[in-house]
Order: sequence, then structure tokens, then C-alpha cells
Amino acid sequence: MSTIRNKYAIVGVGESKRSKNSGVTPLHLALDAARAAIADAGMDAKDIDAFMSYSEHDSCTPHQVATYLGVRPGVVKEIIGGGSSTELLIADAVGLIETGQAKTVLIYRAMNGRSGMRMGGGGWSTDLLQSAFDGGSFIIPYGAGSPGQWFGLFATRHMHLNGLTQEHLGHVCTSFYEHAQRNPNAFFYGKPLTMEEYMKTAHLSSPFTKHDFCLESDEANAIIVTSAERAKDCKSTPVHIMGMAARQSVSHAHYWKNVDEVASDYVAPELYKAAGITPEDIDVASIYDCFSWVVLRQLEAYGLAPKGEVGDFVAAGNLRLNGKLPTNTAGGMLSEGYTHGMNNVLEIVRQVRHEYAGTNRQVENCEIGICTGWAGPDIAGAMVLSK
Amino acid sequence: MSEETKVKYEKPIPLKTLDNTPYWDAADRHELALQKCNTCNAYNHPPGPSCASCGSVDVIWENQGSVIQGKVYSYVVSYRPFLPGFQNDIPLVIAVVELDHLPEVKIIGNILNGNAENVTIGSAVNMVWEDVTEDRAVPQWVLA
Repeated sequence: MSTIRNKYAIVGVGESKRSKNSGVTPLHLALDAARAAIADAGMDAKDIDAFMSYSEHDSCTPHQVATYLGVRPGVVKEIIGGGSSTELLIADAVGLIETGQAKTVLIYRAMNGRSGMRMGGGGWSTDLLQSAFDGGSFIIPYGAGSPGQWFGLFATRHMHLNGLTQEHLGHVCTSFYEHAQRNPNAFFYGKPLTMEEYMKTAHLSSPFTKHDFCLESDEANAIIVTSAERAKDCKSTPVHIMGMAARQSVSHAHYWKNVDEVASDYVAPELYKAAGITPEDIDVASIYDCFSWVVLRQLEAYGLAPKGEVGDFVAAGNLRLNGKLPTNTAGGMLSEGYTHGMNNVLEIVRQVRHEYAGTNRQVENCEIGICTGWAGPDIAGAMVLSK
Repeated sequence: MSEETKVKYEKPIPLKTLDNTPYWDAADRHELALQKCNTCNAYNHPPGPSCASCGSVDVIWENQGSVIQGKVYSYVVSYRPFLPGFQNDIPLVIAVVELDHLPEVKIIGNILNGNAENVTIGSAVNMVWEDVTEDRAVPQWVLA
């Protein structure tokens, strides 16, 4: 992937309104996000010749989005995918452009994640769940129907082996909630979280309290990818893709027998090789945060904190705005909003652009950002971005 | 099984599928059967259409009997029912158990007599079978 270094760029990002009950369909949200991203890039909808999305059967199709933007593109593509899909589709976009099949690609995620189909479960037929997940018959009859429980099974052992405590999870939560207090569009804007309050909060499912679970929201996000050459004609400051990597590792997406490795462990060396950097070069981060512990595990995987010292790293305040690695600076999925990872991608693009310059939200002098996706311990994708 | 138990069991009953039926048929007899690969000798749990370790289609079923012991590899304690039928089982302990005689095999189940105070990583457990209908049984764990 080093051959594509800095040849492609993200030139537009945009979002719909974020709410608990949008009152509209995911298609409306997707169109709002797409129009915002197109305006951000200073493009016309007809400049987009590929539309791609991922969903869990809760979205609208790229065919519909193209249709109602009045565009008849070359490529419409939808994948069923989890939290690493933004990065994987951006890699697909690069491939389409590199091979001449498209020039400019719009990628979106649209969901009524709170008022419609909730990722956290609820309302589904248990027989359907047993069939939908590989090995579902071996988890659903035991009451393990929520990602919080599946990830918790991984977290308990990893924390036990690495000396991680409830308070370390709390540092992830309080750091991200602190970011949300500077972001008026964050769900938990105006709702700060102290460590004292965090430590008093009961487990929903150990080791996670409600603060360790990501929130659920109705929202759409969109991203536009094009070549560095075309990016010069865009209104926005292009954010270049230095490198990308992806990997499937652990078997059985919902039944983990081994907590010693996660896909992110394999992605990291490939990513740094592709980007031509080391973890020390990274100034700002968007780390997939469906659960607080997932952030700790990825900090370790990507070498952003030394293995065995991840707890100390977050306790020292390093995820905060003035820390060594300001992370999920809009509040992340724990406190800003949840679009299955894509809102974290929008934020890293804005930080690397210095879009917040002159406000209290900008990470000073940040040049290089990392963005990680985690569909589970089994699938990861990540990218490194720079101006 | 009593009439009362029959009426009260509201939790999901394991679905028998093309790939897992021998496991659940054995469970109904209060035995453990595991899928084994004849090519690489790996035990596959959960079972599948071929070996998840090497891809071989030469997989067989091996009976492990009714005395199954293990250690808690990891676990969670859930304080709200995330699925229908579990409202009377809170707090619910869900554990991944490493089998003593085949540590590569990890079997998820509830620890029926477990709670946040008495379960930890390494806790010794024994497999038991819960009769949930006239002809179905579900493997579970109890603290040894």
C-alpha cells in the first residue's frame, strides 16, 4: 500500500442532524449528510461517480442516495459490515480510483440507531439472532445477546492479565466526555462526567457501566474521497491518506476463544509500513470506541502506549486535549454520537485540516492523525492521515 | 421434568442446524460431543461446515462423556436482561470455560450458582445439563 502514499485525499465531510428520534427515514439522513459533504468539498453532486455504504440492514441503499441526488453514477456498492467498514470502504474507493473505475467516491453511513434498529439489541427474535450469528446457538441461549457482553468477555480477561482497573476504563470515559463539553453537537454536551461519579455508577454488564457503552443515535455521516490531483480543485483543505491496512484474524465473529490477539495487532505494523511513520509521529487520534475497553486494547495494539502501561498512559491524562495523544476529540461514540465509527473519521479529518483553529477544540500543531476501525477482535481497518 | 418447569422456560432454546445437530443431540442425552478435524486434529467449537483451523472437510464428532470439568477463562456478570426470557436470571453470569482435558476448547455457558463475588478467572467448574423441555437439555456450568 506504500505505492498509494499521499496520492488520495478526503476532500469532503458532512453530517445530518443528530438526535434520539429523527422522525425521518435513514434515506433523508443520508441525503442531508451527502449534501453537506458535497458542499464542504465545493463540488456538484454530479462530480460523484461512485456511492458506497455499509449497514446492518438498517440503512438506505447507495442506489437510492444517488437517485435522489439526481446522479446516475458508475458504481453503487453496499456492504454488510461493522465498525471497521469506513476504513475498508475508503480503501475500496482508492482501489476504484487507482484502477480508473471511478474518479470521486462518496461513502456514507445512515441509521436511525436509536429510534429504529438499535445496535445494542432489543426487539429481535432470538431464533433469528441464533441464525444470524455464526455460532449463535452457542451464545444466545445463554443470554449473551449484546455486544456489551461479547466485548466484556474479552475485556475481563485482558484487564485481569494486564492490571487494568475500573478506574482506567473511567479515564477513557471522562476524557471523551470532557471533549464533548466543547462540542455543542455532542449528545452529552452539557453533561460532564467526573471520576467520582463514574466510579459510583453500577455495572450494566461487567466490567462496563452505562458510561463504558457507546450511545445510540439517529444520524448520517458522509465522506468524499478523490485523487490528490483532483483535490487541488476542491474548496476544502485536502487531508491525504498516508497509508491504510486491514485484517481479519480471530475466528468466529461472536464467539472468541482467545483474548491474546486481536486483528488490530496485525494491522498496526502493516499500517505504519504503508504510511512510512512510527507511532511516535502521531499527533491526534480517532480510536474506535464502541466500549471504553476497546480504546485501551487498541492503544496497546497500535503501539500508542507501551503494552502493560496503557492504564498509566490514560491515567496521566494523555487522551485529553493537552495530553500526549488527544483522542476522540469530539467526544467519540461514548459521548458525541454513534454512526458505527464514521463520526470519529469526520473528527480526525477536521483536526488534521485545523478546521477548529482559533477555538478551544483544535489540537495545536497536529500534522498526522490515526483513525482506527474495529468491527470486533476479529476485523480491523485503520488509516493514517496528514494535511 | 415438572409441569411447572415446562411452562416457565422462556429463554431461547438452542437451534439445531445442519452443522451443530450432533452437539445438541448429545446435550439432550446429557453428554458432550465435540467436532474434531481428522486432518489437523483441532477440535472445533463452535462446530462448522469444515475445520475453522485448516479448512478441511474431514471432520468427525467425538463423544467426551458426561464428566466435564473446566476453569473459568473469562466471564461477565450482566445486571439487565439483554434478551427476552432472562428477566428472572439477573445477575446473570456468562462464562467462557476452558476444558481441563482439552484446553483449546472453550465452551460458553452460565454459571448457575455463580455471582460477582464467587466467580473469578480460574474458578473450577463442572458441566451440568439443564432439562428445558420434554426432550431438550442445555449444557451449563456450576462452581466445583
